[in-house]
Amino acid sequence: MIYVVEVNGRRINVDVRDGEAIVDGVKYSVSMHAVAGTPVRIVGVNDEVHRTVLRERVARGRYRLWLDGHRYDTEALDSRARAIRDMQASVAKPAGPAPLRAPMPGLIVQLRVQVGDTVHAGAGLVVMEAMKMENELRAPAAGKVRAVHVVVGAAVEKGALLVELE
Amino acid sequence: MFNKVLIANRGEIALRIVRACRELGVGSVAVFSDADASAPHAREADEAVNIGAAPSRESYLRADKLIDAARRTGAEAIHPGYGFLSEREHFAREVTEAGLVFIGPPASAIAAVGSKTAARALAATANVPVVPGTTDSLRDAKEAAEVAERLGYPVLLKAAAGGGGKGMRVVRAAPELAPALESARREAMTSFGDDAVYVEKYIAGPRHVEIQVLGDHHGTMHSLGERECSIQRRHQKMIEEAPSVAVAPKLRKAMGDTAVRMARAAGYVNAGTCEFLLDANGDFYFLEMNTRLQVEHPVTELVSGLDLVQWQIRIAAGERLPTAPMMTEPRGWAIECRITSEDAGNDFLPSTGIISFLRVPGGPGVRWDGGVGAGSEIGLHYDPLLGKLIAWADTREAAIARMRRALLELTIVGVETSRDFHLRVMDDPEFQTGAIDIQWLERRLPSLTAGAGTPDGEIAVAIAAALLAESERAGRLAPAASSTLRGGDADAWRIAGLRDGLRRR
Repeated sequence: MIYVVEVNGRRINVDVRDGEAIVDGVKYSVSMHAVAGTPVRIVGVNDEVHRTVLRERVARGRYRLWLDGHRYDTEALDSRARAIRDMQASVAKPAGPAPLRAPMPGLIVQLRVQVGDTVHAGAGLVVMEAMKMENELRAPAAGKVRAVHVVVGAAVEKGALLVELE
Repeated sequence: MFNKVLIANRGEIALRIVRACRELGVGSVAVFSDADASAPHAREADEAVNIGAAPSRESYLRADKLIDAARRTGAEAIHPGYGFLSEREHFAREVTEAGLVFIGPPASAIAAVGSKTAARALAATANVPVVPGTTDSLRDAKEAAEVAERLGYPVLLKAAAGGGGKGMRVVRAAPELAPALESARREAMTSFGDDAVYVEKYIAGPRHVEIQVLGDHHGTMHSLGERECSIQRRHQKMIEEAPSVAVAPKLRKAMGDTAVRMARAAGYVNAGTCEFLLDANGDFYFLEMNTRLQVEHPVTELVSGLDLVQWQIRIAAGERLPTAPMMTEPRGWAIECRITSEDAGNDFLPSTGIISFLRVPGGPGVRWDGGVGAGSEIGLHYDPLLGKLIAWADTREAAIARMRRALLELTIVGVETSRDFHLRVMDDPEFQTGAIDIQWLERRLPSLTAGAGTPDGEIAVAIAAALLAESERAGRLAPAASSTLRGGDADAWRIAGLRDGLRRR
């Protein structure tokens, strides 16, 4: 099976078969052993040992993992699934700047912008309190404030829509 | 010696105190909130008492419930740990008035230096150098503006009752002053229940170096060397070490003598810490005195061979310290990394969830002072400190290599942690030379947290991901994988936290 694996935005083709993997024309002998009852996987590449921790299975083929002390977001799709996904992505309309969402549950202690304000990327939009610390949430991209969905004093859940930009 | 000590705290420090008690043959009583019923500190102590609901104001900050729990269990003394009520004068007084022993300084000493404004005033009389600024807390924005103009920008706003960077703001120009003051006051109020804030001249580029002192009830007071705590983010210490590359024996003695002078002026007893700013010329300025055990006390323990928590208990029980110096020169080098539930890859935002897997490092020279275990639920009620990883070796270089090795072994799954960030710092050539100051981390943070992984590792990662996908296809993805899914997204604990948030308004 040939997998197209995205690692840090880079695509790598991995052809896996019977204990071997071919990457960029180079053949490696590979193995993976799960350590029972743990998220630890021992990944062997030729004679190298890589202690790998599967931190989260985000969706089928999408894994967050650590390998040798670094964290990676990966997506491993077989070549057919990859092609379908790419086609879908190309038809999807490009959206405006991503809205600001609450990265954790907490309290809104301050709003730094109003509807209609023009903000630059990185500008502080909202101050949230969690774990007794105030955290300034910044604009993910430059834009104009289309809507503010919270008020000062509101308790919000993780992922709650806070501010929309256009 | 006491028969039984009540520990008025939670997390790693409560567990640390349980350990000290057990080694001394003293019984330990833990207290826990509803959220901590199965927490390690509660299950490791000899006895454990529920003192109320999850929010600290209804449990760990309730002096009456703590004293009541001590009476009920027959504990003779209360160890406050750090944070919570540890530096509250009223708590030390109430404990004493209840006929119990407060394991810490007398209430009068907390009053003398516990507030930073009082400490600065006392330092002036004890011939201890301080940074220019106000000694009274600010009345309003107008007064703040006047003082800031007089000192010249940038200035630093600090919560009078504060610590740990909470309620602290750097103000670089006049227009930033009013919003910063408002925000500092609000944070000080939430964290300490006191919104008094004062202002001082901001000294650029210094190191944060602090001196540990230890005094008994019989007039003996020792300084136990310095800790370098310059690696800070938003005034929150992240990495500490002992000794400091910037402190030679002569300076160590000068700073130690100054700290002892300050402690004596305050009528201090037990373990305390004088924090100083140390500039490039070797001039140092007193910042504040922490009238409690410090989070970073283990680095001093490792280079001095002393057990500070045991000494705290022994001093409180009336024992005498040796009169000969307890520490002349530090032995070897120790480094501590604070492992927090903060996502360094995402602006250090707090992360919540259930710890599904924990592997603690081992091997030579490694110490883990932790407060969590597999199954621990990390919510938003308390400080994000999960544990402290401390490494000791005979040189700084070897200690860094050992810390790096231990960090690679440390594995925590279920919440995001600061581990990877600490690894990047250990790998940083500038950190390795010791050329650091209190702004170093803020300067270097973008490059330390930029990008994940190395190109060399990507092939191995791609192979690992392909093998995972292959086993998932074959239905062989072990159940452990699903248990690593982040918990806590829609559970009762978090909802309780949100309700608490609503109540507090």
